Amino acid sequence: MRFFLTGILFLGGCIYADAQSQKIQVTGVITSASDKLSLPGVSVIDVSEPKNGVNADFDGHYTINLKNGNATLRFTMIGYKPVEVKVNNRSTINVSMDLDVSSLDEVVVIGYGTQKKRKVVGAVDQVNNEAFKGRPNVNTTLALQGKAPSLIIQQTNSEPGAGINLNIRGVSTLGNNSPLIVIDGIVGGDINALNPADIESVSVLKDAGSSAIYGSRASNGVVLITTKKGSKGKPMSVQYSSLTGFNTPKYFTQPVHGYENAMLRNEAAFNSGQTTAVFTAAQIADLKAKGDTEWFAKEIVKPAAQLNQNLSISGGNENSTYLVSLGYLNQGSTFVGPTKGMERYNFRMNLTNEYGKFKLTTTLAYSKQIINDHSSNTSTLMVDAFRVPLYYTQKDKEGNYLTNDVLQQFNSLGILEQGGFRKYDNDDIFGALNAEFKLTNALKVKGVFGGRLWNGSMFGRVKEVRFSPQGVYGAERNTRDETNKSLDLNTQFMVEYNKLFGNHNVGALIGVSNENHSERRVALYKKLTDPDLGTPGTDTVIEPGSYNSNGTDPNGNPASPTNSLNSLFGRASYDYKEKYFAEFSFRYDGSSKFRDEIRWGFFPSATVGYALTKEGFMENYSNNVGTIKIRSSYGLVGNQNVNNYQYQTTYTVNPNVYGFGNKPVSGTYFDFSNADLQWEKAATFNAGLDADFFKGALSVSFDFFDKVTSDILVPPQVPGVFGTDLPDFNSAKVGNRGWEVSATYRHKGKAVNQSLTLNIGDSKNKVLDYNNGQEKLTGVEELQVILREGLPFNSYVGLRRDGIFQNIEEIQGAAVPAGITVVPGDNRYVDANKDGKIDDKDKFIFGNPFPRYTFGVTYNIDYKNFDLSLFIQGVGKRTMMIRGELVEPFHYNYGMTMYTHQLDYWTPQNPDARYPRLANNGTQSNTNNFRNGSDMYLYDGAYARLKNVQLGYSLSNDVAESLGMSRFRVYVSGQNLLTLSKVKFVDPELSEFNNSMSNSGANSGRAFPTQVYYGMGIDISF
Amino acid sequence: MKNIFKYINLVPLVFLLLASCEDLDQAPEDRFTDSNYWTSVDKAQLMLNTAYSQMQTSQYFFYNEGLSDNAYNGRGDNAGAASIGAGLYDPSLGRLKSEWNDRYRGIKSCNVLLENIDKVPNADPAVIARMKAEARFLRAFQHFQLTTWFGAIPLLEKDPSLTEATRIERTSHADVVQFILNELDAIAPQLPKNTQLTDTEKGRITMGAAMALKARVLLYESRWAEVIQVTEKFMAMTYGQYSLFPSYEGLFQQANEFSSEDILSLQYVPVQRRWGEFIDMAPISAGARLNALAPTQELVDSYLMLNGKKINEAGSNYNENDPYVNRDPRLTYTVVYDGYNWKEADGSSHIIYIKPGSSPTANHPDEYVPGSSSTPTGYFTRKYYDVQHEADLNSALNLMLFRYADILLMYAEAKNELSQMNSTVWDQTIRLIRSRAGFTDPAALSYNNALGQPGLKEVIRNERRVEFGMEGLRIFDIRRWKIAEDVLNGYAHGAKFGISSIDNGYIRVNLRNFDPEKHYLWPIPRDERLINTNLSQNPNW
Repeated sequence: MRFFLTGILFLGGCIYADAQSQKIQVTGVITSASDKLSLPGVSVIDVSEPKNGVNADFDGHYTINLKNGNATLRFTMIGYKPVEVKVNNRSTINVSMDLDVSSLDEVVVIGYGTQKKRKVVGAVDQVNNEAFKGRPNVNTTLALQGKAPSLIIQQTNSEPGAGINLNIRGVSTLGNNSPLIVIDGIVGGDINALNPADIESVSVLKDAGSSAIYGSRASNGVVLITTKKGSKGKPMSVQYSSLTGFNTPKYFTQPVHGYENAMLRNEAAFNSGQTTAVFTAAQIADLKAKGDTEWFAKEIVKPAAQLNQNLSISGGNENSTYLVSLGYLNQGSTFVGPTKGMERYNFRMNLTNEYGKFKLTTTLAYSKQIINDHSSNTSTLMVDAFRVPLYYTQKDKEGNYLTNDVLQQFNSLGILEQGGFRKYDNDDIFGALNAEFKLTNALKVKGVFGGRLWNGSMFGRVKEVRFSPQGVYGAERNTRDETNKSLDLNTQFMVEYNKLFGNHNVGALIGVSNENHSERRVALYKKLTDPDLGTPGTDTVIEPGSYNSNGTDPNGNPASPTNSLNSLFGRASYDYKEKYFAEFSFRYDGSSKFRDEIRWGFFPSATVGYALTKEGFMENYSNNVGTIKIRSSYGLVGNQNVNNYQYQTTYTVNPNVYGFGNKPVSGTYFDFSNADLQWEKAATFNAGLDADFFKGALSVSFDFFDKVTSDILVPPQVPGVFGTDLPDFNSAKVGNRGWEVSATYRHKGKAVNQSLTLNIGDSKNKVLDYNNGQEKLTGVEELQVILREGLPFNSYVGLRRDGIFQNIEEIQGAAVPAGITVVPGDNRYVDANKDGKIDDKDKFIFGNPFPRYTFGVTYNIDYKNFDLSLFIQGVGKRTMMIRGELVEPFHYNYGMTMYTHQLDYWTPQNPDARYPRLANNGTQSNTNNFRNGSDMYLYDGAYARLKNVQLGYSLSNDVAESLGMSRFRVYVSGQNLLTLSKVKFVDPELSEFNNSMSNSGANSGRAFPTQVYYGMGIDISF
Repeated sequence: MKNIFKYINLVPLVFLLLASCEDLDQAPEDRFTDSNYWTSVDKAQLMLNTAYSQMQTSQYFFYNEGLSDNAYNGRGDNAGAASIGAGLYDPSLGRLKSEWNDRYRGIKSCNVLLENIDKVPNADPAVIARMKAEARFLRAFQHFQLTTWFGAIPLLEKDPSLTEATRIERTSHADVVQFILNELDAIAPQLPKNTQLTDTEKGRITMGAAMALKARVLLYESRWAEVIQVTEKFMAMTYGQYSLFPSYEGLFQQANEFSSEDILSLQYVPVQRRWGEFIDMAPISAGARLNALAPTQELVDSYLMLNGKKINEAGSNYNENDPYVNRDPRLTYTVVYDGYNWKEADGSSHIIYIKPGSSPTANHPDEYVPGSSSTPTGYFTRKYYDVQHEADLNSALNLMLFRYADILLMYAEAKNELSQMNSTVWDQTIRLIRSRAGFTDPAALSYNNALGQPGLKEVIRNERRVEFGMEGLRIFDIRRWKIAEDVLNGYAHGAKFGISSIDNGYIRVNLRNFDPEKHYLWPIPRDERLINTNLSQNPNW
């Protein structure tokens, strides 16, 4: 905290001068130190009288009248280091300002403290609030995408509110890869409940050196979020920003024309030996004459407005600072029907008060989230709408919702418009008290108490919708309520010591903490409720999934889980003249998730650093080129992401498992224990280099890491004969190695300022052991993923396609899957073991599904009052699985239309086709081509996306001031505007894996369309 | 130095805080642990209930018919029926693994119960003995299903450790069968007869159920003499009071659950526990969303004429252009065909128009359209359609695993196999079953000695096919009769809606192939053999 404040003081400045002298006029010229050119527009103020200020003219000349000659002038200009000069009764003061391109004085937030950037020797990236400005991000996680190297953010779905994977440095464990999130020093907050506008900085702790202080939960890295605070000695400042725009759904896929589809259906039927055409020539001619109807998928979505508004008031005097902010977000759902979407209200109050040696920091944040959703399942709605060819309609003129040959039960439009809703109403209160007492200048004690109280509720109703000519949705007329209250509490007590002994700078920190989590959930589900009100009636039944707060939810999880972690942690740091650095940190954790005897674990790390350019012999280099710092760390961190109570065998009673005499009876399910359950341990080596060039205009940072995670928590291979699953065992080992580079170049010209930031990272994991040489194959639709020593985790396994059989001669004697007779146009597979048949023994292991070479590029340029920023983000290499109707025409007879990208199928006239010939589900050809999982389902997932573009215009300072504002900017912003990828028919950003690396089903027609955003905003400061 | 002393002074404070830390011993509120579970008979009964629930899924019950020549799974691959029916599968097929895993899961519930139930204090020994017998029945039933599909299988007389489960070898089919038979004999005396069950016990395992399973095991082994022994005792009411329910149609209705014919059924409870397969089986106009399981023309053709003749027999009076008249009434109670009069519980009815272009209205959801979501064969299913169904065709109708008609047909088949069929046996079995079905023509009801043993064999086999049509038993009969290479090769057909030049106009719905060298046994699931290298594979897989 102290470093942080020092930093603000340094930048913001507030020095009081003696106030007794005579009036005086001061003039002068301001120049830039680097190119000796005059600097226009520099702000000049009298520090003792902040209202007295002028701006330099176009040639850098200024004139200011002062009340006395003892005043201090403060010269500030964005991009330059501020300069303060005592007037001392001079009438001419020429000033030369240095570029503020170096970030070495920046203060970086680290675990339980802060550090000046030049002293940071761990692998820490800090993303500052500029990264979030003007971007229409609904939540903080998405705002961080592409902003730090090896901080990998993937979406499994573009639907607002859908799961987002946040991952640091790739995959190094087999289970949950989510980093630990710490908000203002408190563990357990929700990153997505934060208002991105409230964030001051986000630190990403990547190596063990920086993260070991978080011990048993640090192996996936740590994300530290710090919210904004007021500045000392600054008058009240009011900032208002507003951003309004539209999200437009974009599909990457397009169905073929209706009549075309009819012809393709016929072709498939003919190829399948069907004796009757599906469509007669007359019907096809009729379809062509009538033209296409509507694609249901497009009809169920529409552009939706999004509004972000933020107001913050901040300031401070000598002893205290304050910041109060309000935020409002309204993100409309792009689904049609009654208003759906998310509203979020954020309130935050951050206060600091100092009284002598005592300092109190108080944080209170409240967030309310209201989500209105439809009553169904989005992927069902999407896929139902996706699969219908262009010769049906969803609604007739009378307003009846129509069913058809493809959708006999219901259509998505009817459900969205009339089928009921789910309303979520979540309250999130986050608070922290941080008391600090300086015993001496070097020693202080700190107590932190804080936490988060979350109360979420869901009220939903399924309403009955009748379709014409037949079909019904929601006939059970469910009314559902869920309430969840959870509490995370953190208590920390720390002692911190910092002292400079000559050239020896010594620091130490030791602390204890408890973090605990508890929650209670209840759910009441009723069916056959009143069609109008949803209230109980004669037939109403309480559904068995309902549970009390001491019960079990329908997923088999306790409704009242608790866990707790007690810890002792510390850090010792040393540097000599800021040239040689050494750090040691540790944590000793005791967790309720493990058995008493083996509950405690110790996690140490050591870090060294060397600022090479501080050496005398490098003086010439540092004066002319820049600085170099090398650093390295090694340490042990843990991962305790397992369910509660897994060390005990438990018996859960479920209602209605069976019945006797038409009366339901309950049944017991057991969960076997693993009494020896313990942490995963990750030994992490990191080596890095920070350098800057051209007096800091270019700064580069490079890191290499090598991490070996052992005792990985993973369920063992359990044969079916065993008869039940087993919980996690500490039974695997994974190596993960990679590097990342980030570079920033800033150029300040007379009229044009530019900066370019680039980051790229790569990691590659390799399973080193799984249960002493076992391997595990897990089916993922048509393919499988493998867990095997020597391979990246979850590598895809399947047949390798060897082109397409072109003629009868090629088929003669060719290896084919057992029992299959192929014909020209069918897939040919590689017979790996040359035994003349295609079977399991011919499976190949394909690429790594996890993204590699993730990158982000940010380019900013401003010219006079205009500013432009571009942000590009992407993945250099990834094996992506796509399946379902996106690959297989008329998928399983569920999909009834083909898409334009599938037209490249085999015919004798198109021998080099991408896809095999058309044939119906259940035919030998279809089974050969589509039921045998092959690399036909795997695609190149590399992409680059123009994620965000912003073009802004600011009023010049004097104009803004004349209007009573200190700053006024308007801008337009766009998101997801352009995507470059090899796969054109699916959004390459979507991942088929969740954060636990378990496959959530490959990309298919179930995905929500990508949201393309256009909007405009204003930022005003008073 | 001074500072360091200050620091040391703070150490006690640190420990003070540690002492105030949260207790790390936490227990769940919603579940029992080993220490407090095996404490009452009621709790032990809950484990037994779980074992009951694992006996069979409704999905297997219905889609097993799609494995045979009686039905076609034309959409998706439900319970692997499409793949296995067409003979297009390998050891990685999901159904193989889930059948295997589900059955061993059921076996584990039984073994865990059997190994812990004696811990229950102060229990009535008779109650415990009966619960053990029920668990042993369920364990035997699971082994029987496994050995029928897979042949030799790991036999689990006790709950294995993980290591044992990973190394266990297959026990020969003969030994598994012997184990099952021994178990059934051992437990039968501990089980009540059906007449002894109280209302709240209906659906529990009885002596009759144990003996019906025994008869079926013996039947599948072609141990005819022993089949006769068991079924004769059954018919002598030694194991309980059983008889054919008077109405074939009524047998599959909720109002007549627990009838005298029901020996053991999967239990469902209105609202609380239901099955929902009919949403993909009923006519679309009756509320289905699509068709995923459709009876074949081959099944329809197997129903006799009311005069007892096969449709292709001379003098049958079968009219190919009006094929559904004068047929075995069970056809109407089982299969929905073009022009079917579909009845609902409230007495209303409507005609099901399936033939293309036959619907008098513009709306024709049930009509056969190639590749549409309607039926791919031209037929839907009626049997087990629950007129009292709940929303989305969810049903609480119990699904019968063993019914008395089966005992009679087993008896008839065994007698005939041993060339002991005569008019007495015929009248005790086929005649009873046919007259219950609604046959009245003496030509259909009386014994025809002229057929000879081979001819009677076909008659009895066909009787089984139609009596149990869409009840999931056909595939097992096909396999034990070793006729799969005849009936599961070539095209499965649908109604006569096609071009007359091909297969006489009967639509080809699915090309199937069955390799007798390999397909009579399912392969051991691939994943199992990867984990346990001691598991051998069946021939030619």
